[in-house]
Amino acid sequence: MTTRVLKLAPFFCPLAIATPAFAEEAHGVETMAAPLFKLGPLPITNSMVMTWIVALALVIVIRIVAGRPKLVPSRGQALVEDMIGWLKDIVGPVIGQTAIKAAFPLLLALFIYILIQNWSGLVPGVGTLLMRHGDGPWMELARPAHADMNGTIALTFCAFLAGTILVLRFAGPKTILIDLFGNKANKDEVPAALYYPLSLIFIVVGLLELVSIFFARPVSLSFRLYGNIFGGENLLHSMSAILRWGLPIPFYFMELLVGIVQAFVFALLISVYIGLLTNHGDGHGHAEADHHDAKPGSAPH
Amino acid sequence: MHNLIAEITGNIQGGLGCLGAAIGVGMSGLKGAEAVGRNPDASTKILVQSILGMAFAEAVAFYALFLGK
Repeated sequence: MTTRVLKLAPFFCPLAIATPAFAEEAHGVETMAAPLFKLGPLPITNSMVMTWIVALALVIVIRIVAGRPKLVPSRGQALVEDMIGWLKDIVGPVIGQTAIKAAFPLLLALFIYILIQNWSGLVPGVGTLLMRHGDGPWMELARPAHADMNGTIALTFCAFLAGTILVLRFAGPKTILIDLFGNKANKDEVPAALYYPLSLIFIVVGLLELVSIFFARPVSLSFRLYGNIFGGENLLHSMSAILRWGLPIPFYFMELLVGIVQAFVFALLISVYIGLLTNHGDGHGHAEADHHDAKPGSAPH
Repeated sequence: MHNLIAEITGNIQGGLGCLGAAIGVGMSGLKGAEAVGRNPDASTKILVQSILGMAFAEAVAFYALFLGK
């Protein structure tokens, strides 16, 4: 019994020494990404470099895995097809038949891109390799793109622009205006004295909804993604600083889950914002559209 | 002699925001568990809905944390 303890003791001594030393630097990640080098007048930060690396990796890997689509699918192709089918089952009823053909590539690209970007913070080397210019502060060589507010704002801007273009194309400006500002009361059931003031109220509600669409939705999308991924990165760094061996492991698993959920939520929300205006042909059968229509002037956050 | 025995630091904005988010996430999980208890076959669908609801509830915590000073 004592010999076994004596044999195991050397494994525990480093823990006793390591803990006080690392506990001093238990700081997290700072919010601003550090610029690695300058391209002309433009500083290139470590987050920007990560977007390029991940995008390139995605293109290469999917090309290799799926290759040329064949009638009898290879295993890689079957995997990709499974994922595409799963996403289409969820997103299809939300967007409606008119816009699904054009909108689905956007949503699939968003989902996969955000998923791999979220998971890029877990790859060994991201966040741990440091460099510095001369005598300056130590900066990380790579940092998850969504742990930087610029990354999520840019992504939200692109996704929102694409969504707006799709809505304008498939729903038409007339449908949009009627949906936003139109009087939703039933003309037969409501007396005339009440109907016209209601029109005025609905116009004001439409203005509120404009504010919600162009301000609240992009802010909520970008902040949700940024908060989750930056918080996860911060957590991993702090846990690693406290105890480097073993303590961050459960948090890595949590980051895996958070990455999937946030990618899914982003894609689903963009599809909902498109579907609110384009999904008129099939009727408002599903619960989410009913829920949103029942509360004009407030948007899902 | 010690002049300061205890202090509370931090900002109340983040604290209140996270409090609301925690309650929201807990309620979403509560109703999810109840729904699965009623209908165990729909477990995966309920799981998807619960996680979606939790993601929305948690987002408000990030507004409170990052939109302030």
